[in-house]
Amino acid sequence: MIKIKNLSYRYPLGTKNVLDHVSLEIQKGTLTLVTGASGTGKSTLLRCINGLVPHFSGGTISGEIQVFGADPIAAGVEAMAQTVGFVFQEPEAQFIFDTVEDEIAFSLENAGIPREEMERRIQDALQIVKLSHLRTKNIAEISGGEQQKVAIASALVTQPMVLLLDEPTSQLDPISADEMLKFILDLKIRLNLTVLISEHRLERLLPYVDFILNMCADRTVIFGTPQEVLPFMEQVPPIVEIAKHFGISPLPLTPVDFPKEDFVQARLNLKKKQLPTVSTQPICLSIEGLSTRLNDHWILKDISLQMARGEILVLIGPNGGGKTTLLRSVLKMIPCSGRVELNGINAENLRFSEIIQEIAYLPQNPNDLLFAASVIDELKITLTNHKQGFEKLDFKDFLKPFGLDKLGDHYPRDLSVGERQRTALAAVTIHNPSIIFLDEPTRGMDYHAKKRLGTLFQQWRQQGKAILLITHDVEFAAILADRVIILEEGQIIFSGAPQIAFTEFPAYQTQTARIFPETGWVTSGDVIPEI
Amino acid sequence: MIHSLVWVFWLLMVMVFILSTRNPIYLGTLLTSLFILGHHLSHTKKIKNWMLPNLRFLLTMIFLSTVINSLFSHVGQEVVFTVPQQWPLIGGKITLEGLVYGALNGLVIGALYILFNIINLALNVKQITRMIPRAFHPIAMSITIALTFFPSIQKRAQEIKEAQMIRGNPMKKISDWLPIFIPLLVTSLENAFLLAESMTARGFHKQTDLRTPKNLISLILGGFAFFSGWVLQLYRYPRAISLVLYAFGAGLILLTLYIAGKSSQVTRYHQERWKPADMIMAFLIALCLFGFIYLKWAHRLHSLNYSPYPHLICPTIQVMGLFFSLLPLIPILGRQHDKN
Amino acid sequence: MKLNRLLRLGIDLLVVILGMLSLALPFIFSQAGDPNNQAASFPIMISLIILISLLIAIFEAQSSLLDSKIIAFLAVLAAINAGLRFLENAIPGPGGFSPIFFLIILSGYYFGSRIGFLIGVLTLLISAIITGGIGPWLPGQMITAGWVGQSAVLITFLVNKFAWRGKPIEVILLSAFGAFWGMLFGVIMNLWFWPFLGAGMGQTFTHAVGASENFQRYIAYYLATSLFWDISRAVGNILIISLMTKPVLKIFQRFKQRFSFQIQEETG
Repeated sequence: MIKIKNLSYRYPLGTKNVLDHVSLEIQKGTLTLVTGASGTGKSTLLRCINGLVPHFSGGTISGEIQVFGADPIAAGVEAMAQTVGFVFQEPEAQFIFDTVEDEIAFSLENAGIPREEMERRIQDALQIVKLSHLRTKNIAEISGGEQQKVAIASALVTQPMVLLLDEPTSQLDPISADEMLKFILDLKIRLNLTVLISEHRLERLLPYVDFILNMCADRTVIFGTPQEVLPFMEQVPPIVEIAKHFGISPLPLTPVDFPKEDFVQARLNLKKKQLPTVSTQPICLSIEGLSTRLNDHWILKDISLQMARGEILVLIGPNGGGKTTLLRSVLKMIPCSGRVELNGINAENLRFSEIIQEIAYLPQNPNDLLFAASVIDELKITLTNHKQGFEKLDFKDFLKPFGLDKLGDHYPRDLSVGERQRTALAAVTIHNPSIIFLDEPTRGMDYHAKKRLGTLFQQWRQQGKAILLITHDVEFAAILADRVIILEEGQIIFSGAPQIAFTEFPAYQTQTARIFPETGWVTSGDVIPEI
Repeated sequence: MIHSLVWVFWLLMVMVFILSTRNPIYLGTLLTSLFILGHHLSHTKKIKNWMLPNLRFLLTMIFLSTVINSLFSHVGQEVVFTVPQQWPLIGGKITLEGLVYGALNGLVIGALYILFNIINLALNVKQITRMIPRAFHPIAMSITIALTFFPSIQKRAQEIKEAQMIRGNPMKKISDWLPIFIPLLVTSLENAFLLAESMTARGFHKQTDLRTPKNLISLILGGFAFFSGWVLQLYRYPRAISLVLYAFGAGLILLTLYIAGKSSQVTRYHQERWKPADMIMAFLIALCLFGFIYLKWAHRLHSLNYSPYPHLICPTIQVMGLFFSLLPLIPILGRQHDKN
Repeated sequence: MKLNRLLRLGIDLLVVILGMLSLALPFIFSQAGDPNNQAASFPIMISLIILISLLIAIFEAQSSLLDSKIIAFLAVLAAINAGLRFLENAIPGPGGFSPIFFLIILSGYYFGSRIGFLIGVLTLLISAIITGGIGPWLPGQMITAGWVGQSAVLITFLVNKFAWRGKPIEVILLSAFGAFWGMLFGVIMNLWFWPFLGAGMGQTFTHAVGASENFQRYIAYYLATSLFWDISRAVGNILIISLMTKPVLKIFQRFKQRFSFQIQEETG
């Protein structure tokens, strides 16, 4: 059992408590979902349970924690490692060794376990995560999902009672993320583990969790069963949002639980949504028969697509399907065959500097872009790169839609994740390109940050910019997309309206589409127009 | 797989032999055996093109050494030609003896280089890091992490470079470094923080400070003893004194490190196993090494010493000498044994 | 504590003296006997002695490497620096220019002599392990790179004494220091490689020739083979240090805060 009483914690140099008088009790063998916006202390709380906070992070702590009889504040992280296993957000960034077995052996080495026993324990841990065949493999060469399982195995090898997972699926595509969550549930039952998991994607886990711990922006926490907590939560999955709107009780947690018949009959006139009319704006980017191969292996095969001004085009598909490669090919970062036209001009006749004048690109990791001493300096650098003057420019005005107008003089690295991303976005768009490529901009963003991005994209659409958006986030895409392209194994398997893409392909269905099949509804906004 | 300690013994034996002879025939035989072994290893490790660069290096070394030695050293009787005396530093006779001596030096240096090249070929990165003594556990951890982290750096640098190029950075001047390096440094250091967290969460202890006065004093003493041994040897004091000092110095250092390393509670998952073939090879190598040292000590291997001075003469050969210069081939026997 | 400081000083001195002596030996060696027989073992013996000094110095410096944060920090920094050696070709710069020094100097300057020393040592070691460049020349390279980082603490003393932190002179000093080491590194590397070339030993150093003449020969050899590269490396160091100092120190400052937190227990 985990008992937390009156726990408060402040980071060093922090002015406010991140955790403020938190108290809760978690029973053995249960699954608790920890949720809340960025900065509400989700990962801080998890780190209190194994002693990383305060022993690793420093800071000021008060209150009591009991984890199966042990006190992490007194005992320290090393002692807790036997009771608590911890799995971090980005597995690939935290591997100490390069092979699977060495990585798993690490906690055993630290615990001073004799070699013969190590052998047996590693074998067991690998069997638990079903990776025995990868034992001597190089970690860099296995898939993201497998890497996360290796991280889980290295946490389980000390045979802990508690498993803490800090956003374990944030780096995975939706299909692998689903698999991973199912796998964790299965583990919990098989090993009778007490599991705490922090996760943005509520909808996938809701049906299985025993408790929800919702951490609010005002430092209060709500703890209880889903039925107890969900009514008080601000950000809920679309299905709960719709049910709450219509006062359905108990709240349905999966589309199957949704009381379809009465609800549909009584409250809604089920009208099929009209497909949007095709854009009549001029075409600004046209790709024809584009193919790329690497080491005798086709990465993209015969891709053709067109983008019009004022259009948001969403590119979805599994990892490794060639989405990022497509963007890079158009930008001439990798050799490819086929024809690319930019505003009617064949890109082969354009210099690189002319192409990037028209196309902006936000990479997956916006940190790759930032290096200057202030936000405004970042903007100036881009302008200098493009040989544009900035004497007459009002930077503050430009930064307003990004929500950065008050942060112009700040060091970009000191900003929050969302602000940093918007700084990078501002930096790549200041020279006024007409086409904007974005590679998974919602990764790791909470609801507020996503909403801000959405508003920004809509403003750009109104200004007549064309936006090509790669994302795994179907709910986010469903709100914004004018058109959707599904790219699998290097080929376009679908191109058309979001109302079709998000309803007819099971892997990409939104929750709303699952509740109301054959209506063409894809977002909660389609059901409840006032949202 | 041959045990890495066997490789270290092998290295020691071959090095002792290389350093004790100037006989071109022995050196040639030794180099041939080294090349055969290297070829064999690179073949099994599927490394293409091992032979050619090494051969090229050897020839370059011989050439350079010959030229430099003959230009700077004008001792000898067989004058080939004369560089005008007024040329600074290199002016004087170019002698045949000087040329030969230079070439011999080149052979020795080339052999040493190829010897180490084979060790690099034979041992993989893991075996090398695992040989770091326990007393250096924190350093060994740093090296392991760095080696794991290294491949991602190049990938990341490439991604950053692309992102900055698309942002309009021309990548031409030295100042265009900044936009690549700064993001690389920051993301990597942030990653270091995550790595440290992941180590701690898996029970990595705060390491004990081994820097006690006792340890430091014995290390300093050991180092000083070893160094004195060498200086005395250089100035032709009796060899016995040097030997005692070497043994004392090295022993003290190893003992201190061993004792310091024992204080670590960490166990190691990877331990190379001593197979019968390894033990046989280790025994063989030790036998040969001691045999060689004894023979040399007792002046029974006079053909090892060869010098073109004062007169250019033909090198002599002894069967034992030829036998020793074929010893680098021992690991091939071990590998053959593995296959059966 | 006092004893420890004394011992640390002793170790630093021992390492420097042994290193310098082994460097200077080609010049003193002419007075020693039996050069013929030892000509070949000479470079190996130097390497062995440098290796021993290096082990002792690392053993001492390791005492600031006890906690997981600093271990990971050092690993990552050294890996980046080793990576820079491979990026040399990818990024424009003058010929012979080597980008590994500025990070060693800046970390020694900011984090102190031990960390600077270890960064230098590890950078060379890691790139040698990766490229298969382990050999008798390695200890010499490692310890010299270590000295680069270790000695950067002299600039720290100067800057602290005159309160120059953040002023332009800080960058100028560091760049000058980089230029100095750009040259000196070449000189030292040559001295250590000289015996390997075979040129340093044997008949080149005959009994008849005194130390001064040997020295002249070394100068000739140096001028001919590496002066150009060293100057270009020094210029490269000036350029890159003057460019990098400010942003890199800013990053170090941020991370120093993050890496050195203390716990406070609060009652009530």
